[in-house]
Amino acid sequence: MTIHRVIRKVQRFEGWFGGGAALCLIAGLYVGLIGSPPDYYQGEVVRIMYIHVPLAHTSLLGYTVLAVGSLWYLWKRDPIVDNMCQAVAALSAVFTALALGTGMIWGKPTWDTWWTWDARLTSFTVLLLILIGYLMLRTFVDDPEKEARYGAILAIVGFVDLPIIHFSVEWWRTLHQPQSISMRGVSISSGLLVPLLLMSVGMSLLFSYMLMVRTQLLYLDRLLHAKKGRLLSQFHLSKSDS
Amino acid sequence: MTNFYIRWGGVCIVAIVLIVLTYNHYRDNLASLAPQQVKQEAPAGEVRVLGMVQGGTLETRAAGEATFSLLGESVSLPVHYEGPPPDNLRELKILVLIGTWTADTQVFEARDIGIVPNYGFIAGAYLLGLLPLALLLFAMTRRVSLLYEEIKASKLYEEE
Amino acid sequence: MMVAKKKVGMIVSILLVGGALGYLALGNFGENVVYFFTPSEVKAFSTDYYKKKVRVGGMVVEGSMETYPDRLGLTFQLTDGEATIPVTFEGIPPDLFKEGQGAVVEGYWTGEHRFESNLIMAKHSEDYMPIELKRAGVELPRKDFMKSLVE
Repeated sequence: MTIHRVIRKVQRFEGWFGGGAALCLIAGLYVGLIGSPPDYYQGEVVRIMYIHVPLAHTSLLGYTVLAVGSLWYLWKRDPIVDNMCQAVAALSAVFTALALGTGMIWGKPTWDTWWTWDARLTSFTVLLLILIGYLMLRTFVDDPEKEARYGAILAIVGFVDLPIIHFSVEWWRTLHQPQSISMRGVSISSGLLVPLLLMSVGMSLLFSYMLMVRTQLLYLDRLLHAKKGRLLSQFHLSKSDS
Repeated sequence: MTNFYIRWGGVCIVAIVLIVLTYNHYRDNLASLAPQQVKQEAPAGEVRVLGMVQGGTLETRAAGEATFSLLGESVSLPVHYEGPPPDNLRELKILVLIGTWTADTQVFEARDIGIVPNYGFIAGAYLLGLLPLALLLFAMTRRVSLLYEEIKASKLYEEE
Repeated sequence: MMVAKKKVGMIVSILLVGGALGYLALGNFGENVVYFFTPSEVKAFSTDYYKKKVRVGGMVVEGSMETYPDRLGLTFQLTDGEATIPVTFEGIPPDLFKEGQGAVVEGYWTGEHRFESNLIMAKHSEDYMPIELKRAGVELPRKDFMKSLVE
């Protein structure tokens, strides 16, 4: 038994992602909390944006990786791709939940409400439900190959929510403000943009690093399970022989 | 596993340094006085005062000047503000004023007017955003290290 | 027994995803039901709407806000650029509720053509900058604010 070459590669390069994430996040937190000016309208509370927006965009990025990975799995049927899919789904679920949580904390001092069912908030909640459904489904299927296949199909179907989330603030009337960074240009001045970009890059790197760690975790777990299963069947065989 | 704990020790130290730096930075901005304190103590230099704009006292002039009374628990403070009145300035609103108290004229000269900052929300959002991620990452990296050790210990593993 | 339980679990998880997506596609969402009405639409309301709780979004007209001297609450005008409606509100408005900024109010449109609101939510735009720049009159490229209220 050897370690898969992809996992060996991941093991070699993960440190760069982890280190890069740490550097960007430390710099981003310093600039975001101490070194940047308050907003003309929101005041100090605008600093919540530097944690909320990176979390939200990273969870969308995560779901995109899940959908692409699912297609890739259906094409190649490589179990290691399925390990990656399972890992990215769990992490995206965590990031989505945290994006919703920090958004609620930002909403109270700015909008004066913790929650409202506008199009952006609703479609984002649907993303969390899809991910929870995906993870639940996987626990209920016994055969690993079927588990991976059903999951992949569900993940690809759920992808329709992503454009809805992205364009919800353009298509419908919402309480949530439209995108600040888009084709129209950037409507954040540089003093407030620097911490946002630092935190965004840092959060994406952190997500990649966590994904690498979790994929390894699931892969190694599978490897050990396979080994234990083999030992167990050997044990059963020897018993039936005697 | 030693490397693993050294790395996470480093993460903890960096986190503590950032928290201390941030706390010190905000402590300087947080310290605001009540109107009665300003009247009694007559502090020299620039101070922050927190209070409510008393109903019926706000007078703004288009030339860029505003006068009003800032109400504390018991006493109110006459305030004079030079410049175009900000959007925040209206009656029955709790505000933080930055400026100086002149004991001779008994008027507070406000240089800047801001809404009451919600530091609790900011701290809450950052804790909620980062703490679960850190704990999750810690648990995952720890488990991966343990799994590698277990696999290496097993006879089935072949070194390259 | 075990197998049956797993089947139920599978169906529940698929229903969760399907239901969530179905809600997006068909449910109380999308183009059929709008999150808030504009003042123009409110003015055109038939009498059926008079007793219904609705949300209205718009800009708070500059110079229209008045507070009561003796109690909490205020009155102001809400506009979408075409129509303007008067709004009364009881309570403490959000910190970020200001003249010339967006707001979504919840309440009832009365027969006297006045909007009685019990909840104000401040709607802020997507531009962010330090106060020094704002005072210097810097404008950032952003979507026309009224356009995000009125299609």
